Amino acid sequence: MSDVTLASPPSPTVLPEQPLRAHDANSLISMRDIWKTYEMGSEQVHALHGVSFDIPKGEYIAIIGPSGSGKSTLMNLIGCLDTPSKGEYWLNAKNVSEMDDDELARIRNQEVGFVFQTFNLLARATALHNVELPLIYGGIGSSQRHEMATEALRAVDLADRITHRPNELSGGQRQRVAIARALVNHPSILLADEPTGALDTHTSKEIMDLFERLHGEGNTIIVVTHEHDIAARAHRVISIRDGLIEKDEKIR
Amino acid sequence: MSLLTETRAGTGNLPPATHLAPRLRGVFKLLRVAAVWEAFLVALSSLRANKLRTALTLMGIVVGVAAVIAVVTIIKGLDQTVAATFSSQGSTVFTISKRPRVITSREDFIKFNKRKDVTIDDAEAIFRVCSSCWQSGVAANTPETVKHKDQKSENVNVRGIAPSAMFDIDAVNIDAGRFWTDNEGATAHEICVVGADIIQNLFGGIAPDRALGQNVSIAGRPYEIVGVLQPQGKIFGASRDNLIYIPYSTYQKNFGAHSSLTIFVKTPSADQLEEAQDQARTIMRNRRGKTFGDDSDEGFTLETSDVFIDLYGKATSNIYIVTYLVAGVSLFVGGIVVMNIMLVSVTERTKEIGIRKAIGARRKDILTQFLIEAITVAAVGGAIGVLTGFGLAYVISFLIGFPVLVSAASVILGVGMSSVVGVVSGLWPAWRAARMHPIEALRSE
Repeated sequence: MSDVTLASPPSPTVLPEQPLRAHDANSLISMRDIWKTYEMGSEQVHALHGVSFDIPKGEYIAIIGPSGSGKSTLMNLIGCLDTPSKGEYWLNAKNVSEMDDDELARIRNQEVGFVFQTFNLLARATALHNVELPLIYGGIGSSQRHEMATEALRAVDLADRITHRPNELSGGQRQRVAIARALVNHPSILLADEPTGALDTHTSKEIMDLFERLHGEGNTIIVVTHEHDIAARAHRVISIRDGLIEKDEKIR
Repeated sequence: MSLLTETRAGTGNLPPATHLAPRLRGVFKLLRVAAVWEAFLVALSSLRANKLRTALTLMGIVVGVAAVIAVVTIIKGLDQTVAATFSSQGSTVFTISKRPRVITSREDFIKFNKRKDVTIDDAEAIFRVCSSCWQSGVAANTPETVKHKDQKSENVNVRGIAPSAMFDIDAVNIDAGRFWTDNEGATAHEICVVGADIIQNLFGGIAPDRALGQNVSIAGRPYEIVGVLQPQGKIFGASRDNLIYIPYSTYQKNFGAHSSLTIFVKTPSADQLEEAQDQARTIMRNRRGKTFGDDSDEGFTLETSDVFIDLYGKATSNIYIVTYLVAGVSLFVGGIVVMNIMLVSVTERTKEIGIRKAIGARRKDILTQFLIEAITVAAVGGAIGVLTGFGLAYVISFLIGFPVLVSAASVILGVGMSSVVGVVSGLWPAWRAARMHPIEALRSE
């Protein structure tokens, strides 16, 4: 049953480029037979054993799995923080799997918006400066940068908190600053790693409502989680276990 | 509906890649400026946030740079003072004497001592024959104890001179009273012109004109003060004002005619110095019975102040090199402090590096950030160090008594060197930060 529900099942005998161009021109993300192997001393540990899937633009998808399942490894690959040991990853028609560090940095800056469990804001910087940071590395001029960052903060209802530092904000507000930072560069995907892991139930609901609204506005959202009720808010759920896709189903 | 919808209205649901590419290229130049500026601001805020650490780092650099600046300033001041002192007679003066002013070995001392004394007859021959010699004079010195009433001063340089043109050649100026006339000088009168220290030490610092007409006792004989000299300051901590001029005829009478004297010759301009030296040398060789081509010892020493400055340079250059090295070592230690602190800073901020990398900072962005931080500390430390160094030099110069030489070159040297130290010691920590893997950096706490 494991790969029956794959959006486009890969054929191991066909060159990966062919099906990508032939079948997946509309896919934002195409993963083909992705392996990730770590060297642990003399031993080789496979975190992913040949994972393949496609994500079209505008989808709201949850990647779920217990700890040690390989979902974090998968998230790092999707977010271009790492490259696969084997296989091909196409993001927005670019072959990311062959890029070097600086090219990956550029892709992360332009195509990926990260939302982390622990927010990962710069503690000494104001909310505005935190949101401006991706624009700084993207080379946006200061006046445009200020304008874009202010708009992004307004979009997450934090217009009145732009000069606050993270320690002056609540957990939910911090996560909304992080979401504004993720969205400010208009990335192709919004990639959230346990976005409600550090929040209470009420605030978690607010953040998930915000994701739903952002999805409604056309954003592609990928949430990595181990909580089923968080995954249940997505439209499609990919379950990972032991480095393989166990299940891939549309739930709405 | 949120404002995010409005901002995206023009580009559809998501901005396609084709929309991003030209924007990227267009702002490529801006990118570097913005990233460098960001790096600078980050550096400042990080330095502000860790005040104690910043202060310690600064101190490392400040001590190093201050040491270098103080040493350079003092040495330059010393060199200038020495040059000014020994060429106060100007580059138009040369001397003829029995032995050189500087003797570096016992063998030389014995050799020079065997020479005949330079006498008043030698001087008169040069006055008469040397046509390029403009002003000439003779001088002899002896250290004596000088008294006035119950006050006593030891080791005063008593300098017998003739004629009074020697005051000109020595480039001393009168503060009160007058120089004696050649007539007075020729008649072996007990008159004198005293340096500023004599007034200070024997007359309790009274106004110079009130000392005129009073007597000082040199070797038991009273001398009437006719003039007081303007102060000349110190060299190597020794005063140049602790001296008394008396006429040479008086000197000869009271301190003996046996001592060898020094002949001073001044030419109208530096151009004529060489010609005058040639003439004087020929005259002296004749008087010592040296024929042309005789390469044995000439029996006298002819030298200019340049010779002395050269000797001074040779004698001190090794000491200076060692001093510079010691100062350099303290700057090197300052560099190690900066590197150490930067390594700590990088380790402490691994998480921040991970965040920055995750949202798109490239290696060179991170490298620039930490490099600028190191350079900022080093340059600020350098600037403070330059000021401290000058302060130190002034205090030392005040204590040992000679002017310091503050030059733009030493400011540039100080700030430049500290910046170089900043780059060198910041490079390795910055490179370590730039090379970090984003996932591992993010995982750290």
